[in-house]
Amino acid sequence: MSTEKAVKVLLVDDEDAFRQALAKRLERRRIEVFQAADGKSALEALKAFPVNVAVMDVKMPGMDGLETMACIKRDFPDTEVILLTGHAAVEDGIAGIRAGAFDYLQKPVETENLLNKIHQAYDKSRHQHDLAKEAELREALEKQMATAERLASLGTLAAGVAHEINNPLAIISEAAGYLQLLLKKDECREMPFHDRFEKAIEKIEKSVKRARRTTMQLLGFAGQPDAVYREIELDDLVEEVILLAAGQASAAGVTVAKEKNPSSVTLWTDPHRLRQVLINLVSNGIAACGRGGRVSLSFDSSNDWATIQVKDTGHGIPKENLERIFEPFFTTKPPGKGTGLGLFVSLDIVKRLGGDMQVKSKVGKGTIFQVSVPRLSKTCPGVCNDIDWRDKARELERRDNHGTGAH
Amino acid sequence: MVRVPINILVVDDEEDFVEMFSLRLEEMGEIVKGVNSGQECLDVLESTDVDVVILDIKMPGMDGIETLREIKRRRPITEVILLTGHGTTDTAVEGMKLGAFDYLNKPADFKDLMEKLEGARKRKAEQEERIRKAESRSLMRRSGNLF
Ligand SMILES: Nc1ncnc2c1ncn2[C@@H]1O[C@H](COP(=O)(O)OP(=O)(O)OP(=O)(O)O)[C@@H](O)[C@H]1O
Ligand SMILES: [Mg+2]
Ligand SMILES: [Mg+2]
Repeated sequence: MSTEKAVKVLLVDDEDAFRQALAKRLERRRIEVFQAADGKSALEALKAFPVNVAVMDVKMPGMDGLETMACIKRDFPDTEVILLTGHAAVEDGIAGIRAGAFDYLQKPVETENLLNKIHQAYDKSRHQHDLAKEAELREALEKQMATAERLASLGTLAAGVAHEINNPLAIISEAAGYLQLLLKKDECREMPFHDRFEKAIEKIEKSVKRARRTTMQLLGFAGQPDAVYREIELDDLVEEVILLAAGQASAAGVTVAKEKNPSSVTLWTDPHRLRQVLINLVSNGIAACGRGGRVSLSFDSSNDWATIQVKDTGHGIPKENLERIFEPFFTTKPPGKGTGLGLFVSLDIVKRLGGDMQVKSKVGKGTIFQVSVPRLSKTCPGVCNDIDWRDKARELERRDNHGTGAH
Repeated sequence: MVRVPINILVVDDEEDFVEMFSLRLEEMGEIVKGVNSGQECLDVLESTDVDVVILDIKMPGMDGIETLREIKRRRPITEVILLTGHGTTDTAVEGMKLGAFDYLNKPADFKDLMEKLEGARKRKAEQEERIRKAESRSLMRRSGNLF
Protein backbone atom coordinates (compact mmCIF):
# COMPACT_ATOMS: atom_id res chain seq x y z
CA MET A 1 0.00 0.00 0.00
CA SER A 2 1.20 3.44 -0.86
CA THR A 3 0.23 5.00 2.45
CA GLU A 4 2.53 2.85 4.57
CA LYS A 5 5.57 4.84 3.69
CA ALA A 6 5.52 8.62 3.72
CA VAL A 7 4.81 9.82 0.20
CA LYS A 8 7.26 12.47 -0.92
CA VAL A 9 6.05 15.33 -3.06
CA LEU A 10 7.78 18.24 -4.67
CA LEU A 11 5.61 21.32 -4.63
CA VAL A 12 6.46 23.96 -7.21
CA ASP A 13 4.75 27.36 -7.21
CA ASP A 14 5.96 30.92 -7.49
CA GLU A 15 3.39 32.29 -5.05
CA ASP A 16 5.02 31.81 -1.66
CA ALA A 17 1.92 32.21 0.45
CA PHE A 18 -0.12 29.76 -1.60
CA ARG A 19 2.69 27.23 -1.74
CA GLN A 20 3.41 27.31 1.97
CA ALA A 21 -0.23 27.01 2.92
CA LEU A 22 -0.69 24.03 0.63
CA ALA A 23 2.49 22.45 1.93
CA LYS A 24 1.24 22.70 5.49
CA ARG A 25 -2.05 21.14 4.61
CA LEU A 26 -0.33 18.25 2.86
CA GLU A 27 2.14 17.73 5.66
CA ARG A 28 -0.71 17.43 8.08
CA ARG A 29 -1.88 14.51 5.95
CA ARG A 30 1.48 12.77 6.38
CA ILE A 31 2.94 13.80 3.04
CA GLU A 32 6.59 14.80 3.03
CA VAL A 33 6.83 18.01 1.04
CA PHE A 34 9.78 19.64 -0.67
CA GLN A 35 9.26 23.09 -2.06
CA ALA A 36 10.57 25.05 -5.02
CA ALA A 37 9.62 28.54 -6.18
CA ASP A 38 10.42 28.11 -9.87
CA GLY A 39 11.19 25.54 -12.54
CA LYS A 40 14.92 25.76 -12.28
CA SER A 41 15.07 25.18 -8.55
CA ALA A 42 12.51 22.40 -8.98
CA LEU A 43 14.95 20.53 -11.17
CA GLU A 44 17.76 21.16 -8.71
CA ALA A 45 15.60 19.87 -5.89
CA LEU A 46 14.74 16.70 -7.80
CA LYS A 47 18.40 16.05 -8.35
CA ALA A 48 19.02 16.19 -4.61
CA PHE A 49 15.76 14.64 -3.41
CA PRO A 50 14.14 12.45 -6.01
CA VAL A 51 10.39 12.12 -5.44
CA ASN A 52 7.64 10.15 -7.09
CA VAL A 53 5.21 13.01 -7.48
CA ALA A 54 5.61 16.69 -8.35
CA VAL A 55 2.75 19.11 -7.94
CA MET A 56 3.40 22.14 -10.09
CA ASP A 57 1.86 25.44 -11.03
CA VAL A 58 1.58 26.01 -14.77
CA LYS A 59 1.92 29.77 -14.75
CA MET A 60 5.33 30.66 -13.44
CA PRO A 61 7.80 33.34 -14.45
CA GLY A 62 10.91 32.00 -16.23
CA MET A 63 10.46 28.34 -17.07
CA ASP A 64 6.75 27.71 -16.94
CA GLY A 65 5.13 24.53 -15.68
CA LEU A 66 4.95 22.79 -19.06
CA GLU A 67 8.58 23.47 -19.86
CA THR A 68 9.64 22.30 -16.45
CA MET A 69 7.57 19.19 -16.82
CA ALA A 70 9.28 18.37 -20.11
CA CYS A 71 12.63 18.51 -18.32
CA ILE A 72 11.35 16.38 -15.46
CA LYS A 73 9.99 13.77 -17.87
CA ARG A 74 13.31 13.67 -19.61
CA ASP A 75 15.59 13.53 -16.56
CA PHE A 76 13.40 11.79 -14.00
CA PRO A 77 11.09 9.54 -15.99
CA ASP A 78 9.77 7.87 -12.83
CA THR A 79 8.36 11.14 -11.45
CA GLU A 80 4.68 11.83 -12.10
CA VAL A 81 3.57 15.44 -12.45
CA ILE A 82 0.26 16.92 -11.32
CA LEU A 83 -0.34 20.38 -12.77
CA LEU A 84 -2.14 23.22 -11.07
CA THR A 85 -3.89 25.58 -13.45
CA GLY A 86 -5.67 28.90 -13.14
CA HIS A 87 -9.40 28.57 -12.64
CA ALA A 88 -10.51 29.21 -16.21
CA ALA A 89 -7.53 27.63 -17.95
CA VAL A 90 -8.80 24.22 -19.04
CA GLU A 91 -6.62 24.34 -22.17
CA ASP A 92 -3.51 24.52 -20.02
CA GLY A 93 -4.55 21.39 -18.23
CA ILE A 94 -5.34 19.51 -21.40
CA ALA A 95 -2.09 20.56 -23.01
CA GLY A 96 -0.36 19.36 -19.86
CA ILE A 97 -1.93 15.92 -20.02
CA ARG A 98 -1.00 15.67 -23.68
CA ALA A 99 2.55 16.47 -22.70
CA GLY A 100 2.58 13.69 -20.12
CA ALA A 101 1.15 15.11 -16.91
CA PHE A 102 -0.56 12.61 -14.65
CA ASP A 103 -3.50 14.99 -14.25
CA TYR A 104 -4.36 18.62 -13.61
CA LEU A 105 -6.34 20.43 -10.94
CA GLN A 106 -7.80 23.88 -11.11
CA LYS A 107 -7.02 26.42 -8.48
CA PRO A 108 -8.27 26.89 -5.86
CA VAL A 109 -7.21 23.41 -4.87
CA GLU A 110 -9.36 21.18 -2.73
CA THR A 111 -7.00 19.33 -0.39
CA GLU A 112 -8.85 16.05 -0.33
CA ASN A 113 -8.97 16.00 -4.09
CA LEU A 114 -5.28 16.75 -4.46
CA LEU A 115 -4.41 14.13 -1.89
CA ASN A 116 -6.28 11.54 -3.88
CA LYS A 117 -4.49 12.49 -7.04
CA ILE A 118 -1.14 12.43 -5.28
CA HIS A 119 -1.71 8.89 -4.07
CA GLN A 120 -2.84 7.74 -7.50
CA ALA A 121 0.15 9.35 -9.13
CA TYR A 122 2.41 7.82 -6.51
CA ASP A 123 1.07 4.33 -7.20
CA LYS A 124 1.48 4.79 -10.92
CA SER A 125 5.02 6.02 -10.49
CA ARG A 126 5.95 3.08 -8.30
CA HIS A 127 4.33 0.65 -10.65
CA GLN A 128 6.10 2.13 -13.62
CA HIS A 129 9.37 2.01 -11.76
CA ASP A 130 8.87 -1.69 -11.09
CA LEU A 131 7.97 -2.32 -14.68
CA ALA A 132 11.07 -0.54 -15.89
CA LYS A 133 13.25 -2.54 -13.49
CA GLU A 134 11.61 -5.73 -14.59
CA ALA A 135 12.13 -4.92 -18.25
CA GLU A 136 15.74 -4.07 -17.58
CA LEU A 137 16.27 -7.34 -15.78
CA ARG A 138 14.54 -9.32 -18.46
CA GLU A 139 16.63 -7.70 -21.12
CA ALA A 140 19.86 -8.44 -19.27
CA LEU A 141 18.80 -12.03 -18.76
CA GLU A 142 17.82 -12.47 -22.36
CA LYS A 143 21.11 -11.03 -23.49
CA GLN A 144 22.97 -13.42 -21.21
CA MET A 145 21.03 -16.40 -22.42
CA ALA A 146 21.50 -15.42 -26.01
CA THR A 147 25.24 -15.25 -25.44
CA ALA A 148 25.30 -18.59 -23.66
CA GLU A 149 23.21 -20.18 -26.38
CA ARG A 150 25.30 -18.67 -29.08
CA LEU A 151 28.46 -19.95 -27.45
CA ALA A 152 27.00 -23.41 -26.96
CA SER A 153 25.86 -23.72 -30.54
CA LEU A 154 29.07 -22.15 -31.73
CA GLY A 155 30.98 -24.80 -29.79
CA THR A 156 29.10 -27.67 -31.38
CA LEU A 157 29.35 -26.06 -34.76
CA ALA A 158 33.05 -25.43 -34.29
CA ALA A 159 33.74 -29.05 -33.43
CA GLY A 160 31.79 -30.25 -36.44
CA VAL A 161 33.37 -27.81 -38.82
CA ALA A 162 36.87 -28.48 -37.52
CA HIS A 163 36.43 -32.19 -37.96
CA GLU A 164 34.98 -31.85 -41.42
CA ILE A 165 37.87 -29.63 -42.42
CA ASN A 166 40.62 -31.70 -40.84
CA ASN A 167 39.77 -34.72 -42.95
CA PRO A 168 40.06 -33.08 -46.36
CA LEU A 169 43.10 -31.23 -45.03
CA ALA A 170 44.69 -34.56 -44.25
CA ILE A 171 44.06 -35.72 -47.81
CA ILE A 172 45.52 -32.54 -49.26
CA SER A 173 48.49 -32.86 -46.97
CA GLU A 174 49.21 -36.49 -47.88
CA ALA A 175 48.72 -35.83 -51.58
CA ALA A 176 51.12 -32.90 -51.48
CA GLY A 177 53.61 -34.92 -49.49
CA TYR A 178 53.38 -37.75 -51.97
CA LEU A 179 54.01 -35.39 -54.89
CA GLN A 180 56.99 -34.00 -53.10
CA LEU A 181 58.46 -37.47 -52.72
CA LEU A 182 57.88 -38.15 -56.42
CA LEU A 183 59.65 -34.95 -57.38
CA LYS A 184 62.68 -36.06 -55.44
CA LYS A 185 62.99 -39.27 -57.45
CA ASP A 186 65.77 -39.57 -60.00
CA GLU A 187 63.31 -39.95 -62.88
CA CYS A 188 61.85 -36.55 -62.07
CA ARG A 189 65.03 -34.64 -61.63
CA GLU A 190 65.08 -33.50 -65.25
CA MET A 191 61.38 -32.90 -65.45
CA PRO A 192 60.32 -29.52 -66.91
CA PHE A 193 59.23 -26.91 -64.36
CA HIS A 194 60.57 -29.10 -61.58
CA ASP A 195 61.36 -26.22 -59.26
CA ARG A 196 58.05 -24.54 -59.84
CA PHE A 197 56.23 -27.70 -58.95
CA GLU A 198 58.23 -27.92 -55.80
CA LYS A 199 57.50 -24.33 -54.91
CA ALA A 200 53.78 -24.73 -55.49
CA ILE A 201 53.67 -27.83 -53.34
CA GLU A 202 55.47 -25.99 -50.59
CA LYS A 203 52.72 -23.35 -50.66
CA ILE A 204 50.10 -26.05 -50.36
CA GLU A 205 51.82 -27.51 -47.33
CA LYS A 206 52.19 -24.13 -45.72
CA SER A 207 48.52 -23.37 -46.19
CA VAL A 208 47.52 -26.73 -44.79
CA LYS A 209 49.48 -25.92 -41.66
CA ARG A 210 47.75 -22.56 -41.42
CA ALA A 211 44.29 -24.04 -41.72
CA ARG A 212 45.22 -26.73 -39.27
CA ARG A 213 46.14 -24.09 -36.73
CA THR A 214 42.69 -22.59 -37.03
CA THR A 215 40.88 -25.87 -36.65
CA MET A 216 43.03 -26.79 -33.67
CA GLN A 217 42.23 -23.50 -31.95
CA LEU A 218 38.57 -24.06 -32.70
CA LEU A 219 38.69 -27.55 -31.26
CA GLY A 220 40.44 -26.26 -28.19
CA PHE A 221 37.38 -24.14 -27.73
CA ALA A 222 34.83 -26.71 -28.69
CA GLY A 223 35.27 -30.13 -27.23
CA GLN A 224 37.18 -30.76 -24.06
CA PRO A 225 35.03 -32.99 -21.93
CA ASP A 226 37.79 -35.01 -20.33
CA ALA A 227 40.20 -32.47 -18.98
CA VAL A 228 43.07 -33.98 -17.05
CA TYR A 229 43.49 -32.29 -13.70
CA ARG A 230 46.57 -32.61 -11.60
CA GLU A 231 48.67 -30.72 -9.15
CA ILE A 232 51.16 -28.33 -10.66
CA GLU A 233 53.67 -25.79 -9.49
CA LEU A 234 52.97 -22.45 -11.18
CA ASP A 235 56.67 -21.77 -11.42
CA ASP A 236 57.13 -24.91 -13.52
CA LEU A 237 54.24 -24.00 -15.76
CA VAL A 238 55.60 -20.51 -16.35
CA GLU A 239 59.05 -21.93 -17.12
CA GLU A 240 57.51 -24.31 -19.64
CA VAL A 241 55.64 -21.48 -21.29
CA ILE A 242 58.79 -19.41 -21.56
CA LEU A 243 60.59 -22.37 -23.08
CA LEU A 244 57.83 -23.00 -25.58
CA ALA A 245 57.73 -19.34 -26.57
CA ALA A 246 61.49 -19.09 -26.95
CA GLY A 247 61.44 -19.71 -30.67
CA GLN A 248 58.86 -17.05 -31.46
CA ALA A 249 60.53 -14.65 -29.03
CA SER A 250 64.02 -14.85 -30.48
CA ALA A 251 62.69 -14.59 -34.02
CA ALA A 252 60.93 -11.37 -33.04
CA GLY A 253 63.84 -10.06 -30.97
CA VAL A 254 61.72 -9.94 -27.84
CA THR A 255 62.74 -11.01 -24.36
CA VAL A 256 60.34 -13.28 -22.50
CA ALA A 257 61.15 -13.62 -18.83
CA LYS A 258 59.79 -14.41 -15.44
CA GLU A 259 59.46 -11.25 -13.40
CA LYS A 260 59.49 -11.66 -9.65
CA ASN A 261 60.07 -14.96 -8.02
CA PRO A 262 57.28 -15.51 -5.53
CA SER A 263 57.36 -18.49 -3.26
CA SER A 264 55.84 -21.65 -4.60
CA VAL A 265 52.24 -21.59 -5.70
CA THR A 266 50.59 -24.94 -6.27
CA LEU A 267 47.41 -25.44 -8.21
CA TRP A 268 45.09 -28.31 -8.84
CA THR A 269 44.06 -27.62 -12.40
CA ASP A 270 44.15 -28.67 -16.03
CA PRO A 271 47.76 -27.83 -16.91
CA HIS A 272 47.36 -28.49 -20.60
CA ARG A 273 44.60 -25.91 -20.98
CA LEU A 274 46.11 -23.38 -18.64
CA ARG A 275 49.36 -23.66 -20.56
CA GLN A 276 47.49 -23.07 -23.79
CA VAL A 277 46.05 -19.88 -22.30
CA LEU A 278 49.45 -18.59 -21.20
CA ILE A 279 51.04 -19.43 -24.51
CA ASN A 280 48.30 -17.54 -26.32
CA LEU A 281 48.85 -14.51 -24.09
CA VAL A 282 52.63 -14.59 -24.39
CA SER A 283 52.37 -15.08 -28.12
CA ASN A 284 50.11 -12.02 -28.36
CA GLY A 285 52.53 -10.05 -26.22
CA ILE A 286 55.46 -10.93 -28.42
CA ALA A 287 53.49 -10.02 -31.53
CA ALA A 288 52.66 -6.62 -30.04
CA CYS A 289 56.30 -5.79 -29.29
CA GLY A 290 58.89 -4.55 -31.71
CA ARG A 291 62.54 -5.63 -31.51
CA GLY A 292 63.88 -5.01 -28.04
CA GLY A 293 60.46 -5.44 -26.45
CA ARG A 294 59.82 -7.40 -23.33
CA VAL A 295 57.14 -9.81 -22.17
CA SER A 296 57.20 -10.67 -18.51
CA LEU A 297 55.31 -13.26 -16.57
CA SER A 298 54.58 -13.07 -12.91
CA PHE A 299 52.24 -14.88 -10.59
CA ASP A 300 50.92 -14.70 -7.11
CA SER A 301 48.34 -16.26 -4.87
CA SER A 302 46.00 -15.26 -2.15
CA ASN A 303 43.87 -17.74 -0.23
CA ASP A 304 42.08 -19.85 -2.78
CA TRP A 305 43.08 -17.95 -5.87
CA ALA A 306 46.12 -17.79 -8.07
CA THR A 307 46.77 -14.93 -10.45
CA ILE A 308 49.11 -14.91 -13.40
CA GLN A 309 50.10 -11.72 -15.17
CA VAL A 310 51.43 -11.45 -18.68
CA LYS A 311 52.80 -7.99 -19.26
CA ASP A 312 54.29 -6.59 -22.45
CA THR A 313 55.90 -3.37 -23.62
CA GLY A 314 54.09 -3.55 -26.96
CA HIS A 315 51.92 -1.12 -28.91
CA GLY A 316 48.92 -1.52 -26.63
CA ILE A 317 45.27 -1.89 -27.51
CA PRO A 318 43.19 1.14 -28.52
CA LYS A 319 40.02 1.70 -26.48
CA GLU A 320 37.68 0.88 -29.31
CA ASN A 321 39.30 -2.54 -29.70
CA LEU A 322 39.40 -3.41 -26.03
CA GLU A 323 35.79 -4.58 -26.04
CA ARG A 324 36.27 -6.65 -29.12
CA ILE A 325 39.49 -8.56 -28.54
CA PHE A 326 37.66 -11.47 -26.89
CA GLU A 327 35.29 -11.88 -29.83
CA PRO A 328 35.93 -14.91 -32.00
CA PHE A 329 37.81 -14.07 -35.20
CA PHE A 330 38.61 -10.54 -34.13
CA THR A 331 42.15 -9.86 -35.19
CA THR A 332 44.23 -6.90 -36.28
CA LYS A 333 46.87 -9.13 -37.77
CA PRO A 334 47.21 -9.46 -41.55
CA PRO A 335 45.39 -12.37 -43.21
CA GLY A 336 47.07 -15.66 -42.54
CA LYS A 337 48.93 -14.36 -39.53
CA GLY A 338 46.24 -14.52 -36.87
CA THR A 339 43.11 -16.58 -36.34
CA GLY A 340 41.55 -14.12 -33.93
CA LEU A 341 40.65 -17.10 -31.80
CA GLY A 342 43.49 -16.95 -29.28
CA LEU A 343 41.83 -14.74 -26.71
CA PHE A 344 38.36 -16.07 -27.33
CA VAL A 345 39.52 -19.60 -26.66
CA SER A 346 41.67 -18.51 -23.73
CA LEU A 347 38.82 -16.74 -21.98
CA ASP A 348 36.60 -19.73 -22.57
CA ILE A 349 39.18 -22.03 -20.98
CA VAL A 350 39.75 -19.77 -18.01
CA LYS A 351 36.00 -19.55 -17.41
CA ARG A 352 35.76 -23.33 -17.54
CA LEU A 353 38.47 -23.54 -14.91
CA GLY A 354 36.25 -21.34 -12.77
CA GLY A 355 38.33 -18.21 -13.21
CA ASP A 356 38.36 -14.95 -15.10
CA MET A 357 40.62 -12.76 -17.19
CA GLN A 358 41.26 -9.01 -17.09
CA VAL A 359 43.08 -6.70 -19.42
CA LYS A 360 44.64 -3.28 -18.97
CA SER A 361 46.31 -1.48 -21.80
CA LYS A 362 47.85 1.85 -22.72
CA VAL A 363 48.45 2.66 -26.34
CA GLY A 364 52.15 3.05 -26.97
CA LYS A 365 53.05 1.73 -23.52
CA GLY A 366 51.97 -1.86 -23.27
CA THR A 367 49.39 -4.31 -22.09
CA ILE A 368 48.74 -6.44 -19.03
CA PHE A 369 46.60 -9.54 -19.11
CA GLN A 370 45.72 -11.01 -15.76
CA VAL A 371 44.36 -14.51 -15.36
CA SER A 372 42.78 -15.53 -12.08
CA VAL A 373 41.97 -19.15 -11.41
CA PRO A 374 40.87 -20.98 -8.31
CA ARG A 375 43.75 -22.93 -6.82
CA LEU A 376 41.47 -25.92 -6.72
CA SER A 377 39.62 -26.41 -10.00
CA LYS A 378 37.06 -29.21 -10.23
CA THR A 379 38.61 -32.42 -9.00
CA CYS A 380 39.39 -35.10 -11.46
CA PRO A 381 37.87 -38.58 -11.68
CA GLY A 382 39.71 -41.73 -10.65
CA VAL A 383 42.00 -41.93 -13.65
CA CYS A 384 44.76 -40.06 -11.88
CA ASN A 385 45.52 -42.95 -9.56
CA ASP A 386 46.89 -44.99 -12.40
CA ILE A 387 50.52 -43.91 -12.49
CA ASP A 388 51.32 -45.37 -15.87
CA TRP A 389 48.42 -43.61 -17.36
CA ARG A 390 49.32 -40.30 -15.82
CA ASP A 391 52.72 -40.37 -17.44
CA LYS A 392 51.14 -41.01 -20.74
CA ALA A 393 48.73 -38.14 -20.23
CA ARG A 394 51.57 -35.79 -19.50
CA GLU A 395 53.31 -36.94 -22.60
CA LEU A 396 50.16 -36.33 -24.61
CA GLU A 397 49.85 -32.86 -23.23
CA ARG A 398 53.39 -31.95 -24.00
CA ARG A 399 53.01 -33.05 -27.53
CA ASP A 400 49.61 -31.51 -28.04
CA ASN A 401 51.04 -28.31 -27.01
CA HIS A 402 53.69 -28.37 -29.66
CA GLY A 403 51.04 -29.18 -32.19
CA THR A 404 48.35 -26.69 -31.26
CA GLY A 405 49.27 -24.02 -28.85
CA ALA A 406 52.61 -22.60 -29.80
CA HIS A 407 52.46 -20.30 -32.74
CA MET B 1 72.33 -50.60 -44.82
CA VAL B 2 69.04 -51.69 -46.25
CA ARG B 3 66.14 -50.70 -44.09
CA VAL B 4 63.62 -53.40 -43.36
CA PRO B 5 60.21 -52.11 -44.46
CA ILE B 6 57.38 -51.88 -41.97
CA ASN B 7 54.18 -53.75 -42.70
CA ILE B 8 51.45 -51.17 -42.35
CA LEU B 9 47.69 -51.38 -42.53
CA VAL B 10 45.90 -48.06 -43.00
CA VAL B 11 42.26 -48.00 -41.86
CA ASP B 12 40.12 -44.97 -42.60
CA ASP B 13 36.66 -44.46 -44.04
CA GLU B 14 38.02 -41.66 -46.25
CA GLU B 15 39.05 -43.54 -49.39
CA ASP B 16 41.06 -40.66 -50.81
CA PHE B 17 42.98 -40.37 -47.61
CA VAL B 18 43.82 -44.07 -47.55
CA GLU B 19 44.96 -43.90 -51.16
CA MET B 20 47.19 -40.84 -50.83
CA PHE B 21 48.56 -41.83 -47.47
CA SER B 22 49.39 -45.34 -48.68
CA LEU B 23 51.14 -44.02 -51.78
CA ARG B 24 53.24 -41.74 -49.67
CA LEU B 25 54.19 -44.44 -47.19
CA GLU B 26 55.02 -46.84 -50.02
CA GLU B 27 57.18 -44.18 -51.56
CA MET B 28 59.01 -44.10 -48.22
CA GLY B 29 59.69 -47.80 -48.67
CA GLU B 30 57.05 -49.34 -46.44
CA ILE B 31 54.72 -52.18 -47.32
CA VAL B 32 51.21 -50.81 -47.11
CA LYS B 33 47.69 -52.10 -47.35
CA GLY B 34 44.63 -49.91 -47.02
CA VAL B 35 41.03 -50.63 -46.05
CA ASN B 36 37.99 -48.47 -45.30
CA SER B 37 36.35 -50.04 -42.25
CA GLY B 38 37.02 -51.67 -38.92
CA GLN B 39 35.60 -54.98 -40.09
CA GLU B 40 37.83 -55.07 -43.16
CA CYS B 41 40.75 -54.29 -40.90
CA LEU B 42 40.02 -57.33 -38.73
CA ASP B 43 39.58 -59.50 -41.80
CA VAL B 44 42.95 -58.49 -43.19
CA LEU B 45 44.64 -59.13 -39.84
CA GLU B 46 43.34 -62.73 -39.92
CA SER B 47 45.40 -63.53 -42.96
CA THR B 48 48.21 -60.99 -43.17
CA ASP B 49 51.16 -60.21 -40.99
CA VAL B 50 50.97 -56.54 -40.03
CA ASP B 51 53.40 -54.65 -37.78
CA VAL B 52 51.47 -51.45 -37.33
CA VAL B 53 47.83 -50.52 -37.91
CA ILE B 54 47.17 -46.83 -38.50
CA LEU B 55 43.58 -46.51 -37.40
CA ASP B 56 41.11 -43.66 -37.82
CA ILE B 57 38.99 -43.16 -34.71
CA LYS B 58 35.86 -41.81 -36.29
CA MET B 59 34.38 -44.25 -38.76
CA PRO B 60 30.81 -45.30 -39.43
CA GLY B 61 29.86 -48.76 -38.17
CA MET B 62 32.62 -50.20 -36.06
CA ASP B 63 34.60 -47.18 -34.94
CA GLY B 64 38.31 -46.99 -34.25
CA ILE B 65 38.06 -47.63 -30.53
CA GLU B 66 35.96 -50.74 -31.01
CA THR B 67 38.28 -51.97 -33.71
CA LEU B 68 41.27 -51.36 -31.48
CA ARG B 69 39.68 -53.33 -28.68
CA GLU B 70 39.10 -56.24 -31.04
CA ILE B 71 42.64 -56.05 -32.45
CA LYS B 72 44.13 -56.14 -28.98
CA ARG B 73 41.91 -59.04 -28.01
CA ARG B 74 42.82 -61.12 -31.03
CA ARG B 75 46.45 -60.09 -31.62
CA PRO B 76 47.76 -58.08 -28.71
CA ILE B 77 51.16 -57.87 -30.29
CA THR B 78 50.00 -55.81 -33.29
CA GLU B 79 50.79 -52.15 -32.68
CA VAL B 80 48.16 -49.48 -33.34
CA ILE B 81 48.56 -45.77 -34.00
CA LEU B 82 45.33 -43.83 -33.76
CA LEU B 83 44.37 -40.97 -36.04
CA THR B 84 41.94 -38.35 -34.87
CA GLY B 85 40.33 -35.53 -36.77
CA HIS B 86 38.85 -34.30 -33.54
CA GLY B 87 41.89 -32.86 -31.88
CA THR B 88 40.55 -33.75 -28.46
CA THR B 89 42.73 -35.97 -26.40
CA ASP B 90 39.89 -37.75 -24.63
CA THR B 91 39.22 -40.51 -27.17
CA ALA B 92 42.91 -40.77 -27.89
CA VAL B 93 43.45 -41.20 -24.19
CA GLU B 94 40.87 -43.96 -24.07
CA GLY B 95 42.71 -45.59 -26.93
CA MET B 96 46.02 -45.42 -25.12
CA LYS B 97 44.44 -47.12 -22.15
CA LEU B 98 43.32 -49.88 -24.45
CA GLY B 99 46.88 -50.40 -25.57
CA ALA B 100 47.34 -48.18 -28.61
CA PHE B 101 50.97 -47.25 -29.16
CA ASP B 102 50.23 -43.57 -29.77
CA TYR B 103 47.93 -41.16 -31.52
CA LEU B 104 48.16 -38.39 -34.10
CA ASN B 105 45.96 -35.46 -35.00
CA LYS B 106 44.82 -35.13 -38.58
CA PRO B 107 46.38 -33.72 -40.63
CA ALA B 108 49.46 -35.31 -39.13
CA ASP B 109 52.98 -34.05 -39.35
CA PHE B 110 54.70 -36.62 -41.54
CA LYS B 111 58.00 -36.57 -39.70
CA ASP B 112 56.13 -37.13 -36.46
CA LEU B 113 54.32 -40.01 -38.03
CA MET B 114 57.48 -41.67 -39.33
CA GLU B 115 59.04 -41.47 -35.87
CA LYS B 116 56.02 -43.05 -34.28
CA LEU B 117 55.91 -45.77 -36.89
CA GLU B 118 59.52 -46.61 -36.16
CA GLY B 119 58.80 -46.61 -32.43
CA ALA B 120 55.83 -48.88 -32.86
CA ARG B 121 57.74 -51.30 -35.01
CA LYS B 122 60.52 -51.41 -32.43
CA ARG B 123 58.14 -52.10 -29.59
CA LYS B 124 56.57 -54.91 -31.54
CA ALA B 125 59.98 -56.45 -32.27
CA GLU B 126 60.89 -56.31 -28.60
CA GLN B 127 57.64 -57.95 -27.60
CA GLU B 128 58.20 -60.70 -30.13
CA GLU B 129 61.70 -61.23 -28.84
CA ARG B 130 60.46 -61.50 -25.29
CA ILE B 131 57.78 -63.96 -26.28
CA ARG B 132 60.34 -66.04 -28.14
CA LYS B 133 62.60 -66.14 -25.12
CA ALA B 134 59.76 -67.00 -22.79
CA GLU B 135 58.67 -69.78 -25.13
CA SER B 136 62.05 -71.27 -25.43
CA ARG B 137 62.45 -71.12 -21.65
CA SER B 138 59.20 -72.91 -21.05
CA LEU B 139 60.12 -75.34 -23.78
CA MET B 140 63.40 -76.07 -22.02
CA ARG B 141 61.66 -76.44 -18.70
CA ARG B 142 59.18 -78.80 -20.19
CA SER B 143 61.84 -80.86 -21.85
CA GLY B 144 63.77 -80.80 -18.55
CA ASN B 145 60.78 -82.37 -16.87
CA LEU B 146 60.59 -85.01 -19.46
CA PHE B 147 64.08 -86.26 -18.97
N1 LIG C 1 49.27 -8.06 -25.78
C1 LIG C 1 48.61 -7.43 -26.77
N2 LIG C 1 49.00 -6.20 -27.19
C2 LIG C 1 48.33 -5.57 -28.18
N3 LIG C 1 47.25 -6.09 -28.82
C3 LIG C 1 46.80 -7.29 -28.44
C4 LIG C 1 47.45 -8.03 -27.41
N4 LIG C 1 46.77 -9.21 -27.25
C5 LIG C 1 45.77 -9.18 -28.14
N5 LIG C 1 45.79 -8.06 -28.88
C6 LIG C 1 44.82 -7.68 -29.93
O1 LIG C 1 43.73 -8.56 -29.88
C7 LIG C 1 43.55 -9.23 -31.14
C8 LIG C 1 42.98 -10.60 -30.92
O2 LIG C 1 43.92 -11.43 -30.27
P1 LIG C 1 43.78 -13.01 -30.40
O3 LIG C 1 44.84 -13.66 -29.63
O4 LIG C 1 42.37 -13.39 -30.08
O5 LIG C 1 43.96 -13.27 -31.95
P2 LIG C 1 45.27 -13.04 -32.80
O6 LIG C 1 46.45 -12.94 -31.89
O7 LIG C 1 45.03 -11.92 -33.73
O8 LIG C 1 45.36 -14.39 -33.61
P3 LIG C 1 46.18 -15.72 -33.14
O9 LIG C 1 45.94 -15.84 -31.67
O10 LIG C 1 45.60 -16.81 -33.92
O11 LIG C 1 47.60 -15.44 -33.47
C9 LIG C 1 44.91 -9.16 -31.78
O12 LIG C 1 44.84 -9.25 -33.18
C10 LIG C 1 45.44 -7.80 -31.30
O13 LIG C 1 44.89 -6.78 -32.07
MG1 LIG D 1 46.76 -14.44 -30.36
MG1 LIG E 1 36.83 -40.88 -40.34
